[in-house]
Amino acid sequence: MAGKNDAFMKRLLSTFKVEADEHLKKITAGLIDLEKDLKPQVKAGIIETVFREAHSLKGAARAVNRSDMESICQSLESVFSGLKRREIDLSPPLFDTLHRSVDMLTAITLSPPEEAVAGAGEISGIKEKLAEAAVGEIGAKQAVPSDRPAPRNEPQPSEPETFPRGPALPDRETDETAQTQKKAMSTVRISMEKLDSLLRQSEEMLSLKLAADRHLEDQIDLAHLFGLWDKQWAKIYPIICEYRRVQEKNDKQGGKRRQDDVRFARLLEFGEQTHDNMKILASRLVELRRRSDHDRYATGLMVDNLLGDVKQILMLPFSTLFEAFPKLLRDLSRDQGKDVELAISGGEIEIDRRILEEMRIVFIHLLRNTIDHGIEKPEARKKNGKPPRGIVRIVASRSESNRVEIFLSDDGGGIDLGSLKEAALKRGIVSPEEARNLTEQDVLSLVFQSGVSTSPIITDISGRGLGLAIVREKIEKLGGRVAIETDRHTGTVIRMTLPLTVATFRGVLVTAAERPFIIPTTDVERTVRIKREEIRTVENRETFSLEGIAIPLVKLSDVLDLSERDDEPPVITVLILESQGKRIGFRVDEVLTEQEILIKSMSRPLSRVRNIAAATILGSGKVVPVLNVSDLVKSAAVSVARSVKPEAPQAGGKAAPKTILVVEDSITSRMLLKNILETSGYRVKTAVDGIDAISQLKTEKFDAVVSDVDMPRMNGFNLTEKIREDKKIAELPVVLVTALGSREDRERGIDVGANAYIVKSSFDQSNLLETLRRFI
Amino acid sequence: MKKTGRKSPETAEDRGSLPAGTIEVTPEEKRTILRSRAKSLAREPEKQREAEEYLDLLAFLLAHETYAVETVFIREVYPLTELTPLPCTPDYIFGIINIRGQILTIIDMKKFFDLPEKGITNLNRVIVVQEEDMALGILADEIIGIRNIPKSGLNPPLSTMTGIHAGYIQGVDGEGIILLDMERFLNDRQLIVHEEVGV
Repeated sequence: MAGKNDAFMKRLLSTFKVEADEHLKKITAGLIDLEKDLKPQVKAGIIETVFREAHSLKGAARAVNRSDMESICQSLESVFSGLKRREIDLSPPLFDTLHRSVDMLTAITLSPPEEAVAGAGEISGIKEKLAEAAVGEIGAKQAVPSDRPAPRNEPQPSEPETFPRGPALPDRETDETAQTQKKAMSTVRISMEKLDSLLRQSEEMLSLKLAADRHLEDQIDLAHLFGLWDKQWAKIYPIICEYRRVQEKNDKQGGKRRQDDVRFARLLEFGEQTHDNMKILASRLVELRRRSDHDRYATGLMVDNLLGDVKQILMLPFSTLFEAFPKLLRDLSRDQGKDVELAISGGEIEIDRRILEEMRIVFIHLLRNTIDHGIEKPEARKKNGKPPRGIVRIVASRSESNRVEIFLSDDGGGIDLGSLKEAALKRGIVSPEEARNLTEQDVLSLVFQSGVSTSPIITDISGRGLGLAIVREKIEKLGGRVAIETDRHTGTVIRMTLPLTVATFRGVLVTAAERPFIIPTTDVERTVRIKREEIRTVENRETFSLEGIAIPLVKLSDVLDLSERDDEPPVITVLILESQGKRIGFRVDEVLTEQEILIKSMSRPLSRVRNIAAATILGSGKVVPVLNVSDLVKSAAVSVARSVKPEAPQAGGKAAPKTILVVEDSITSRMLLKNILETSGYRVKTAVDGIDAISQLKTEKFDAVVSDVDMPRMNGFNLTEKIREDKKIAELPVVLVTALGSREDRERGIDVGANAYIVKSSFDQSNLLETLRRFI
Repeated sequence: MKKTGRKSPETAEDRGSLPAGTIEVTPEEKRTILRSRAKSLAREPEKQREAEEYLDLLAFLLAHETYAVETVFIREVYPLTELTPLPCTPDYIFGIINIRGQILTIIDMKKFFDLPEKGITNLNRVIVVQEEDMALGILADEIIGIRNIPKSGLNPPLSTMTGIHAGYIQGVDGEGIILLDMERFLNDRQLIVHEEVGV
């Protein structure tokens, strides 16, 4: 009985989670809209919506005994009823309180009921704030009468599609409800899990199609064998005829047959009978082949149609991805003291859910970049004659058939091509000569290179120069393209094109060291056959030239650590693979075919294997590894580096360990940092504060300083200043590690000349280690 | 069924009327009978306590030694006919195979446990072991068969035992069959391959 009840409660809670999530999303969307400059009656509509959502959420929370949520909703409700009655005004502090309470509600929803996420104190704190707000005390003094529109309205006419989700106007809202009701009649909710299983099974059907292909091939081979036999028969038949004629002649002349001749005649007769039987089999085989061909065609068509339809089912509108962005953008821009508005259109376009999931990361990187580098501070914008509030636009539209085009634009300060070129030079991505000959477009394409960043300091949000590299990799992996345009005054536009559905995977079947491998077709730029003489060795590394461009050449078997007989065929088959802007030629034994394949991921214990992405099962049932081209290109670079610099280990590997000075007043943090750094092979010395550090720096040589900010006697900022003042150690890399995550502090970090600034809250080992590796 | 006048002696009314009518039983006799019954009943649980906990094992040969896995972990035994070796993996990953459309990783225990190579091996059987979401194949030279051994018959591994780290051995039975601790093996983090390309 109790078990049944528990199961019910579990179901109820999961339903509640879905419902609460919907309400919270609508409340958040409403709050974001309310912060925009809208007409009072529009705002009134939004307030009404949010009020109702809060009320519904309260009811739902009560049903599952979440009294903590219920009471927060109650307080929210009173604030909104105050807003409705115009007893209180909308003010920035009020918005902060409202957003915070929504955050808290979200956190509570996500936590299991037994665990109180927020301490009771935090909840009562937020309730108090809301109660104050309800009687109009929060920010009452500085409250601007934002209900009445400012006389000087935004100069640019805001496009109507700017507010796609603003269910603001009362008449529009009724419209929407009517529509939702109509939709509800013909739609059902199905869990994603079930749909995913359906997709998996439909994809498995592909193996039927592949098997049918294979069967047909086998039958064609068989028919070919019959053909060979038929030819042999044709050669032998005249001899039989000749023999018959001689025998008949003999019979007519009345000659007696010898015993042997009689036997031989019977043998011949049997041979002819066999021939006839074989002919029948051959014609039946032709019939079978015709039917197999038909079946293969029908199976293929059915599987393709089924898969197509299932993919259609799994399409989701972009709005499901976009709906989280207004809040994300608001939080990011607030942290940076910037004022940004997000305008979205095309949210109704549907796209494969798997693409959408990948694009989430892409958009988060891009939006962070936009806020961090694109949009200027309000003061700077005013100086440039722009409105203080920046606008970020996301516009999605259907372009060619089966593709969607997305523009992400901002009206910020664009990309500084000069400093971009400098950054690329510094990281050794282009040589000085190359840099001189680069066109503007060439320079711009450098932003997608890993490791290029114009940011003067590394922060948690950006500066590592990885964001756009990841963006390009992800988009290309999805079969899309990305391009960028920038202008110092009008801002930056990023244009992405994506396929609407994930295409069925195709692969090139090759052999290397006599073993079969699949290489994803999308990664193969082209296949070429070159003569052995065309291979040239430059600085101990093989290259060949294609259309005047030298391309490095490696053996696929070498990259995969496979041993191979050293024979050099006169003509060599090369696959040119491209990843992250690098082109490398891979030598293979031969290219067998290019075909649709069914990707099978490998399971535990194979969590990630170097150079191998997955496996596939061919129509014959044979298992073949599918190669990971991005890994292959990296591995090729490693193996080239190995062969180019035989003395490299002396210079890099066995060099004395780098020494790092850790400056930190808390003993726990000090030990933690020491431990992290020592396990990564650094030699570590410690200092308890800035003064201690300075005296150690004077007596000993260090390769880098990792310092806390808040310390007694001399803090991290002052320490950094002192280091930069001292000529002897001015170039020393300084990484500030701190609990202070505010914008002012980060800027202070830049001012005093720190190389990186890492916030402790997001402090994980890889972050620090990766940052250090960039400097020493 | 036909109804007859005779009542079956088993019916409730009959039994109810017995002590009162047909047979005379004195209270003492009654007590003795009950006591003896109680006694005989009371013995039962003692017998059950003697019952041993048994383990079902699948014994197999690996080189010259006999190992065993508890059958609860075994999904099936599969003949190894075709195998795809995987480059860029540690040597204990023997390769991957296709079992009814599922890709399965095959582990060479001897390599994983660092056992010395003894004699000629003929790794031609795959024991598919499974726990929750993790399924993998273990190579065996030869399957010996199912054994049913009492739990008490298991001895702790000898400290002189060669090769396999004692931690992976659940015990050794009288015949010298080495029982592997599959739960520990399947959940061992050392088994997991997770490698990026180092630059």
